[in-house]
Amino acid sequence: MSSDGLDLRIEDLTVVYGGVTALDNVNITVPPGGFVTVLGANGAGKTTLVRSITSLLYLHKGRVRQGNITLGGESILGKKSPDIVKAGVAQVPEGRKLFPNLSVKENLLCGAASRSDVDAIDDSLEQNLELFPQLRPLLNQTAGLLSGGEQQMVAVGRALMSDPALLICDELSLGLAPKIVHRLFELLTEINERRGTSILVIEQNASLALQHAADAYVLELGRVLIEGTADELRGNPMVQELYLGGGGEAHTSYAAIERPSRRPESHGRRPPVSES
Amino acid sequence: MLLAFGNFTADPSVNLQLLIGGLALGAIYAVVALGFVLVYKSTDVLNLAHGEFLMLGAYFALTFLISENLNFFLGVFVLLLVMLVFGLLVHYGIMRRMVGQGFFAIVLITLGIATIIRALLLIFYGPTERARLDLLPQGSFEVGGATVRYVDLIIFGVVAACVLLFFLFFKYTRLGLHMRAVADDIEAAAAMGIDPDKVYAMTWAAAMVMAGVGGLLFGHVTGAIDRSIEAIGLRAFPAAVVGGLTSLGGSIVGGLVVGVIEQFANGHLGTKWREPVAFSVMFVVLLVRPTGLWGRKDLERV
Repeated sequence: MSSDGLDLRIEDLTVVYGGVTALDNVNITVPPGGFVTVLGANGAGKTTLVRSITSLLYLHKGRVRQGNITLGGESILGKKSPDIVKAGVAQVPEGRKLFPNLSVKENLLCGAASRSDVDAIDDSLEQNLELFPQLRPLLNQTAGLLSGGEQQMVAVGRALMSDPALLICDELSLGLAPKIVHRLFELLTEINERRGTSILVIEQNASLALQHAADAYVLELGRVLIEGTADELRGNPMVQELYLGGGGEAHTSYAAIERPSRRPESHGRRPPVSES
Repeated sequence: MLLAFGNFTADPSVNLQLLIGGLALGAIYAVVALGFVLVYKSTDVLNLAHGEFLMLGAYFALTFLISENLNFFLGVFVLLLVMLVFGLLVHYGIMRRMVGQGFFAIVLITLGIATIIRALLLIFYGPTERARLDLLPQGSFEVGGATVRYVDLIIFGVVAACVLLFFLFFKYTRLGLHMRAVADDIEAAAAMGIDPDKVYAMTWAAAMVMAGVGGLLFGHVTGAIDRSIEAIGLRAFPAAVVGGLTSLGGSIVGGLVVGVIEQFANGHLGTKWREPVAFSVMFVVLLVRPTGLWGRKDLERV
């Protein structure tokens, strides 16, 4: 069975790429066993946040200027990415990032790369196949040839192979059919409730994320603009205007973000909250 | 068979002889190309020092197997162990600092490594050429009017065994899987907890060990061991490119094909045509299939 969820605390985090500040004094908390979403448009710093937690900033010449990140009370800042996975953080990267030339089974096994309990890896594989029965007949298929939805299932399954205490999903919904995205979010909720795994979902699809998460943050140009429970955010006029308007990317342009207060009256002309 | 066979002839036994010699030469190209492709595929580095790696292997073979006169198998073991350590040195001493730097900067670094190896060999072994190795069984037998040397047969067998080992390693071991994952997508691999640093170190070590095997084999068929044998790296380049720089299997076939073509050019057209013909084959393949015969562009998500 999975490890119990651990709490993630991001404290006063500032991250820079060269001279450009990507995250500015960000504070985000995922309680143990919690389900938290971080919303924001392109360029808001969401992926930088994931890279900071998983220690992959160095691949993009970014660095943490100040702040701390703790998992279960222990600082994971400055640890190498394999040690962070070992500490219990798994991720579903943006754009899935499967190993395209490897088979589905090999992809899943790569998710268990950090584990030393080799005997238990088969059990995790079996648990994954129970969660995603569609993948069983595809195990020997080359991952790059699967459909987008199937690939995303492999990506989630691969992350779960490390038996994580915290699962981070970066833009799970990107480019997928609404039906598949719904199913994936239901699975996340199931993993969260049954296994107690803490979940952090980075999303542009605000309406769906707010349905499933307990707490939410809105990130804008590297800062936390709004935070609260998912219910509070659903009722927040600015969130409705900017992120729930059409449920799509069209409404999260920079122009809209930079002047939110000047356009308070405009929700009349937006379509209603959509399910997608 | 590195001998020139004179003018054009349709005599089947001569052609058989050329084929056998070509396959033996091609097997050596294959083992060089394999090390070259391994590094390129796994670390994205075009390693222009691979010929020098092989030369290092040949000189170390001289030291451990001739000068120190170790038992053959012990000597080979020590040779490969030393090569492995040198591979780790190349990674931890130099290449590790270059991860994330521009492609061209890294290529120049490998040229620097090549120069350092040549200089070190000159310092420690001097400029005098040495006789080639003679540790494998000499002699030959006749098949259909052609002479087959035991050395060539052994070379072919050793290369086949190396290829099989490689295949099994990549297919069935955890480290092999992780190396393929890093080759596919380094960031995703790191995100899964695979340590790219460790994988790169293993890659350089494996390439060095392959070069050790290559040096040991090539040391038996080259005219003499001196500091010009690094040219084998350049001569194996068409083999790697023809096979496709990203395909381990392709590098083997590419090596054999180029070896045979070279021997036929050598036998029928004369020695001076060997390299022009080999490189022409490379150009033609590149024009028709820029990724090589078996190389592929990475499968991309839609």
